[in-house]
Amino acid sequence: MNILTLIVFLPAIGALLCLVAPKPLIRSIAVLASLVTFLLSLTLFGIYFGSETGGSSTEVFGSTYGTLHHVTRLPWITGESITIEYFLGIDGLGFPLLILTTLVSFLACLASWNMEQWKINKGIRAYFILFLLLETGMLGVFVSLDFFLFYIFWEVMLLPMYFLIGVWGGERREYAAIKFFLFTLAGSVLMLVALIAMYFYSGDAIAQAGGEIVSGYRTDVTLTHGTFDLIELATNDTIQSYFASPATQFLSMKFAPLMFMFLFIGFAIKLPIVPFHTWLPDAHVQAPTPVSMILAGVLLKMGGYGFLRLCYPIFPTGAEYWAYALAVIGVVSIIYGALCAMAQSDFKRLVAYSSVSHMGFVLLGIAVMTEAGFQGAMFQMIAHGISSPMCFFLVGVIYDRAHHREINRFGGLWMTMPKYGTMATIGFFASLGLPGLCGFIGEIWVLLGTFDAGSKYPWAYPLAIISAASVILTAGYILWLVRRVYLGKEKEEYANYSDVSGREIFILVPFAILALALGIFPMQTVFDFTNGTLDLVLAHVTNAISVTR
Amino acid sequence: MTIMLAQSDAWAGVDVTRHLFLFSPMLTLICTMLAVVACPIIVGRSAKTIGTVAVLGIIASFILALRVAGEVASGGASGLSTQPGEGLLLVDNLSIAFQLILLVFMGGVTWLWWMGSSDSEENAPEFFILLIGSAVGMALMVSTSNLLMIALAIETASLPSYAMVGFDKRDRRGAEASLKYLIFGAISAAIMLYGISLLYGLSGSLSVAGVAHYCIQSLASGHDLVITLVALMCVLAGIGFKVSAVPFHFWCPDAFEGAKVEVTTWLSVASKAAALILLARLVMVFCAGIAAPEAIGILSPLAWGIGIMAAITCTVGNFAAYVQTSAKRLLAYSSIAHAGYMLMAVAIFVHPHSADSQGGISALLTYIAIYMFMNLGAFGVVAMIVWDTGNDNLSSFTGLLRRAPMLAIPMIICLVSLVGLPPFAGFIGKWWILIALGQLGSTLGWFLVIVAVFNTLISLYYYMRIVVKMALREDGQPVVAFPLGGMALVNFCAVALLVMFVFAQPLKTTSDRFTRNIFHATVEETAVVDASATQPIENVQR
Repeated sequence: MNILTLIVFLPAIGALLCLVAPKPLIRSIAVLASLVTFLLSLTLFGIYFGSETGGSSTEVFGSTYGTLHHVTRLPWITGESITIEYFLGIDGLGFPLLILTTLVSFLACLASWNMEQWKINKGIRAYFILFLLLETGMLGVFVSLDFFLFYIFWEVMLLPMYFLIGVWGGERREYAAIKFFLFTLAGSVLMLVALIAMYFYSGDAIAQAGGEIVSGYRTDVTLTHGTFDLIELATNDTIQSYFASPATQFLSMKFAPLMFMFLFIGFAIKLPIVPFHTWLPDAHVQAPTPVSMILAGVLLKMGGYGFLRLCYPIFPTGAEYWAYALAVIGVVSIIYGALCAMAQSDFKRLVAYSSVSHMGFVLLGIAVMTEAGFQGAMFQMIAHGISSPMCFFLVGVIYDRAHHREINRFGGLWMTMPKYGTMATIGFFASLGLPGLCGFIGEIWVLLGTFDAGSKYPWAYPLAIISAASVILTAGYILWLVRRVYLGKEKEEYANYSDVSGREIFILVPFAILALALGIFPMQTVFDFTNGTLDLVLAHVTNAISVTR
Repeated sequence: MTIMLAQSDAWAGVDVTRHLFLFSPMLTLICTMLAVVACPIIVGRSAKTIGTVAVLGIIASFILALRVAGEVASGGASGLSTQPGEGLLLVDNLSIAFQLILLVFMGGVTWLWWMGSSDSEENAPEFFILLIGSAVGMALMVSTSNLLMIALAIETASLPSYAMVGFDKRDRRGAEASLKYLIFGAISAAIMLYGISLLYGLSGSLSVAGVAHYCIQSLASGHDLVITLVALMCVLAGIGFKVSAVPFHFWCPDAFEGAKVEVTTWLSVASKAAALILLARLVMVFCAGIAAPEAIGILSPLAWGIGIMAAITCTVGNFAAYVQTSAKRLLAYSSIAHAGYMLMAVAIFVHPHSADSQGGISALLTYIAIYMFMNLGAFGVVAMIVWDTGNDNLSSFTGLLRRAPMLAIPMIICLVSLVGLPPFAGFIGKWWILIALGQLGSTLGWFLVIVAVFNTLISLYYYMRIVVKMALREDGQPVVAFPLGGMALVNFCAVALLVMFVFAQPLKTTSDRFTRNIFHATVEETAVVDASATQPIENVQR
């Protein structure tokens, strides 16, 4: 059996076991299932270390976009002119996010061990079943390369997430859950239109070229009708030039910019960026801690992954068309998110808004379409996937003890809980972007990439300067937060709080180690695994843009 | 009872027993009605006895329908005919596929009735006569393209339905609903008959193909077609009433709310599906007949007319569902919205010769089959709540996940499937319709795709209102008592929805098979539309 299939469906099998297992065993089964999934995903490192020349060789990434590993292709639904495949594969885009997902899921599962709701016996079985189904959905998104399959996994996540927020969330959980659901579905219906349109337009392209063309990346395959294959759509010259042609119209609008926008909005809602971000603070604040960790650590990354997998490779001309607008939206997100974070008095809401700000860097880095920009955006996603679940867990730790999240009521926690204070410092400074920690590399790479883009887009310079200056805002809200919560005089009401337990330390330490490791060894931890594919995507995109110019 | 299968001279030499075999599923149902009438005289009015007789009849009819389906698929029966003056009834893949779905669904409804009413029902014979009678009407609706037969079939399906809605005569709401339904039905039937009489007066033919032939001739000779179009609109209104397309939908929520849940379930799927297939057939036959270059002026407005009607129907249905507090009423509006989605597929058939139509009719059939399970499951749960708590107000669903998880979970699955989200079959149903619309490649097609996907978004909220009540709220209502058989039924539907999603391929292959031959017949027949010679029945296929 293909290892990716196993990784994707192992959590679902765990969910089935949870369905029938006796109640005391459920937690153990869920944790075990997510642990085994994580360990299995680690074996994927083999694709890098198996090659003799090391991580960045063409053996791993190929010389053009579309070199995949652990590929499995089975026909799922076929008709006279339709082929929907069960098509899984992995490359430098999906790989780091897959590992991140299995890791964060495992740690979040562990973080669910002692939720307060278990004391009143509230739905422990349903919780872990939904949690594991959610993990299956998330993993599926990162490895499926058939657009239909991608869409299915994308949608499959919605329902478990809805219930995880809606049933086990805070006071306004109902509102937050339906808001999350409606926003995400609004994005995915646009994606569905794009899905259908891309299928038929690729079919038209092939029909125009004589009804039979050779596949763009598999020389032994010919295409006779439209395709859902994401790699094919990006690499096939016939399809690409038909998509990019200004004469190709959808409802009297140019095809590429319109489809780019449809897909972009779908992913932007998930990322989220201003003005589609309003579901995020609500969902984060209401969701239980482990679900917040998943939301911040994995779900937000799907937006960025979607840009890199779908929007940019398939519609490079659309990307060119919208570049300025997207970069501006990215900068607005950075600043707006930071300002909002500064204004919050709720600890969790502050961390949520910091996510909006951090994701703005991802969008900016991708929008400028430079080497450093793409690499920085990807790094930022991974870094944020480590720092923000850690921050949310840190908030959860103190909320479990204090049962409130008012920043101004805290103070001097470092004195009472020294281990917790140390961990918190690492977590929040990583989020701040302190050199030596993971947040720094991503931000600086994006800024460098933006400056770099100045040679082709004059507007990139001012944007780079503005976003570089905005780092001061990030430092502002984080330092202010750390001062109010962790520093200062020890307060009496928190004096008898116990320090972090062994389980909590076990969750925090991996995040802390990774935050340091990514900050100190960015090449060896992330760039070596992602840059090859990213550079190929970028080369493909810039090449396509220069051709149409 | 004799059914005039064909005008005698045109079909001389036809084997009558063979034709009786082809119509045996319907004849069996009619015999079952007679048996249900006779049963009280012979063995008494026990509801369970009557129910058993009915179930046996349904099973027998289903087995025969399967055999006929095999016969039809191998090319042994009449296909669609566009010949003026062809038979009153026809059996083809489409009609037999619908009959199979109808019989399965009738089995489900009977099962539901058995769980809920078989202990207390005093008028079981009457109920089954009406139920089976309307089923016969619906089976006739999908088996004809003759205007007179259409009117007859619609009445055969409608009259028992009116009575079924008001079946509990002590229930004032049921009586009111029945009266509303009857008045609406009578008016639309009158309008339709007026339209038919106009068409007959103009064209001298009762067959739709004949009317199309007349249209072509008058186009060629430069006459305008205003009266013909008015008459066609009248016929469309009659069918639109059965589909509950906006603006002919007003009866639907009232009738659904007032009727017993079993009856609501029955009407929500069967009568709409029958009317949709009938409409699809009429549009196909009519447009196949006028597919001449000069007729473009009619075809395009017709496609847009149906498409816009579909778009309005699903949008109105979805928005109106927002404010409902009764589960039955909410699902009634949901069924209007779903009728809208299915009606979108009908807009495709305006170009019956293109390959698009095959995808469209196959999508329609798939949708109906999936929709049947979704509604049976959802209404089944509503039924059990009504039996236990005595009302179908949404507040009766509060905390259902705790009060009866084995009802709440299938209900959630059915509702999510009604929204059209994966991993449930509702998405697959919608998917094939969207694909068929996209295949058109026209502005109309993409317009409908966009309307459909945004309606998915609109519908999410009100379906989730029920889910929120069931799963997220709690007001300490007592545990729900429910019959085990009913629980099994709704859970079966939920599992079926999941299975039909994962195994979407066999579903697609089957409905493709049931729709393939129709178009061979249509295309061939149109080629000889001016020829006076009629073909022997065996040759129509392929």
